[in-house]
Amino acid sequence: MILFWQRRIQEGIQTKNDWADKKLEKIKKELKNEVAKKFAGSLAIRMVDSGSCNTCEAECNALSNPYYDLERLGIYFVASPRHADVLLVSGVVTLNMLPHLLDAYEQLPSPKWVITLGDCATCGVLPKSFAIAGPVSEHLPVAHHIPGCPPDPDTIIQELLEFLRKI
Amino acid sequence: MRFIARFAQELPESFKIVDVYDERVEKTTLSKSNPSAKSLARVYPAAIWFERKITDDFGIVFEDSFDKRPLVHHERFPDVHPMRKDFQASSLELGEFRPYKYETIGGDGIFQVGVGPIHAGIIEPGHFHFSQEGEAILHLEVRHFYKYRGIEKMMEGVAPQDGWRIVERISGNESIAYQIAYLELLTQAAGIEIDENIQKYNAILLEIERIAHHLTDLGFIPNDAGFAAALAFCSQKAEDTRRVLKNLAGHRFGFGTVRGEARAFDTNILEQFIQNLKKDMEFFKEWIVGIASLWDRLDTTGILKRKKALKYSCVGVVARASGVAVDRRDNNFYKKHHWRLCTHTNGDVAARFLVRLEEVFNSLEIIESMLDLSPTKIELDNFNDGEYISFVESSLGELMLYIHLQDGKIERFFARDPSFINWQALHLMMNGNIIADFPLINKSCDLSYAGSDL
Repeated sequence: MILFWQRRIQEGIQTKNDWADKKLEKIKKELKNEVAKKFAGSLAIRMVDSGSCNTCEAECNALSNPYYDLERLGIYFVASPRHADVLLVSGVVTLNMLPHLLDAYEQLPSPKWVITLGDCATCGVLPKSFAIAGPVSEHLPVAHHIPGCPPDPDTIIQELLEFLRKI
Repeated sequence: MRFIARFAQELPESFKIVDVYDERVEKTTLSKSNPSAKSLARVYPAAIWFERKITDDFGIVFEDSFDKRPLVHHERFPDVHPMRKDFQASSLELGEFRPYKYETIGGDGIFQVGVGPIHAGIIEPGHFHFSQEGEAILHLEVRHFYKYRGIEKMMEGVAPQDGWRIVERISGNESIAYQIAYLELLTQAAGIEIDENIQKYNAILLEIERIAHHLTDLGFIPNDAGFAAALAFCSQKAEDTRRVLKNLAGHRFGFGTVRGEARAFDTNILEQFIQNLKKDMEFFKEWIVGIASLWDRLDTTGILKRKKALKYSCVGVVARASGVAVDRRDNNFYKKHHWRLCTHTNGDVAARFLVRLEEVFNSLEIIESMLDLSPTKIELDNFNDGEYISFVESSLGELMLYIHLQDGKIERFFARDPSFINWQALHLMMNGNIIADFPLINKSCDLSYAGSDL
C-alpha cells in the first residue's frame, strides 16, 4: 500500500470530474438535503434486475465509483429487500422472474416505493414476446421512472432527486 | 475437435439439428412426427444445456440423455414449445407449479445452500445450488434462464437490417461484439467484403469494450477478496473508458455504432487515453502484485485444469487462464496489429486475473496500431437467402451468431454467448474450495447472464 499512498501524495486527488462537477454539485447538495429530510439521512435501495441486458446494472455499479460515490449523499444499495425503502427494477419482467420480483416486493417493509430504471422496464425497447410478462407497472405500483437506454449515472442521480421531490 | 454449439430448426417437412465444431458443421434431419435425436453430452459435456434447451424449445427428445430436466422453462412456465413455427402466442400466463429436481449430494451432515435468483449485490439474477459439507463445497449446480426473454423468437420474421435494435441488447456488456458478429452475417448475406477501415474502426471499439470490461473485473476480483482499494482505482479507469467510448461512438456501451461504417473521430482523445491508461496500469500492476495478502486469496483458488477446460469446450479468458489457446482474434488482421495470445497455466483465480491484466495492455497496443483509418461506409441491402455463421472474440470469449434467411426475412436466429459454455464449467472450479470463495471464483470468470439466458 505504500506505493499507493506515495502516488496519492505526489499527484493529489485523481477523481476530478470537471465537466459534470458544476452541474452535479448543486444537485448533490440538494439530494443530500432531501435524503436528510425525508429518509433521516439514509435512503436504502434494493436493486432487482428482472430481465435487462445488464447495462443498467453496470451504470448502477458506476454510481459507486469515485466520480459519483453516491454513498456520501446517504444513498445505499442494500443486500436485502428487508433493509430497503426503494425497489429499483431494471429490464422487462420475464415470465421466469415474475414470481421472484413479486416476492422481493413483498419483503420490503412499508412505506415502500418502486422506481423503474431504463426504457426496457416500460417495454419501450424490445418487441413483444411470449417470455415477457409485460412492463413493471403492470405488476407493481411504480412511483417514478428513470428513462434512458441505459440511463447514465448523471441521469440516475438527477432522477433520484426528482423522485425525492415528488414524494 | 472443439464443440461450439448445438441447436435445432424447424423446416416445413422436418426438424434439423445443427452441430457446430471448430472444424466443421454437421446437420441431422429428424422426422416431424416423433422427433428424437442422439445425445452428444457423453463426449462433449457442454452439449447438455444445448440439448435441454432444444427439448424445451422444440419438444425434440434425446432418448439416451442422462439429464432430461427442463432448462429454460422454470417451475411455472406453461407446457409449450415456443420455438415451433405453429406457436405464435405473443404472451403467456404463468402455469401450474412443477418442482425442479436439483442435482445434489446427500448424506449425514450434508446440507444444501440455495443462492439467488436475486443476489445481494447489483448483479443479474441466477440461481446457484450448493451441496455443502460444513464450509467445503461438494457440488454446485448452476441454474439460470431467469432472464429468458425469447430473443430467438423475437428475431424471426424480422428483416435483417431491422435486427440491430434487438441484437445490440442481447448482452449489454458485449454489445459491440454482438454488433460486429451481426454485421459479419449481413455482409456475408449481401456478398460484400468489409473494408479495412471499417474493420479497424470496429476493432478499436471492440478493444475499448474489452478494456472497460476487464477493468471492471480487475477491480471487482480484489474487492471480493476484501481489497476495496483496487475497486476504487479500477472503477475510476473503467468510467474513463466508458466516457472515451461515449466520445467516439456517442454511447457509453456502443449501442448503434457498428453499422458498416467507419466514422470520423478525434484521434487525440484516444491517444491521450491510451497514454494515461498505460501509465496507470503499469502502476496498478506494480502495486497490486506487491499486496501479498491479496495473492494468498487468489492463488490456488478455483482451479480449472487444462484437461477439464478442453473437455468442457471452454472459451475466452476462462480457457486461456487454463492454458488453452483459443482466441478468435488469432488471424492475420489482428496479428498485423500486435495481437498476441495471453495465456496462463495455473487455471486459478490469480491466472484469470493476470490474463485480464495482460489483455488490457495488449488491447491498448492493438488500438494504437489502428488509429490511421479514414472514414468510409458500405451500403447493406439485397441480402441473399441462405445460412450464415459468424464468430467474434468478445470480452468474455468466442461469440457465435447464426441466421437463416428465407424470402428476405430471418427464418431462424441463434446466438451462442461464450457464457453459455463457460457457465457449465463453473462447478468444476468448486472442488476443494469453501463457499466463501464462491463469489471470488464467480467474479473471476465474470460471465453474462443475459447473453446466456437469451
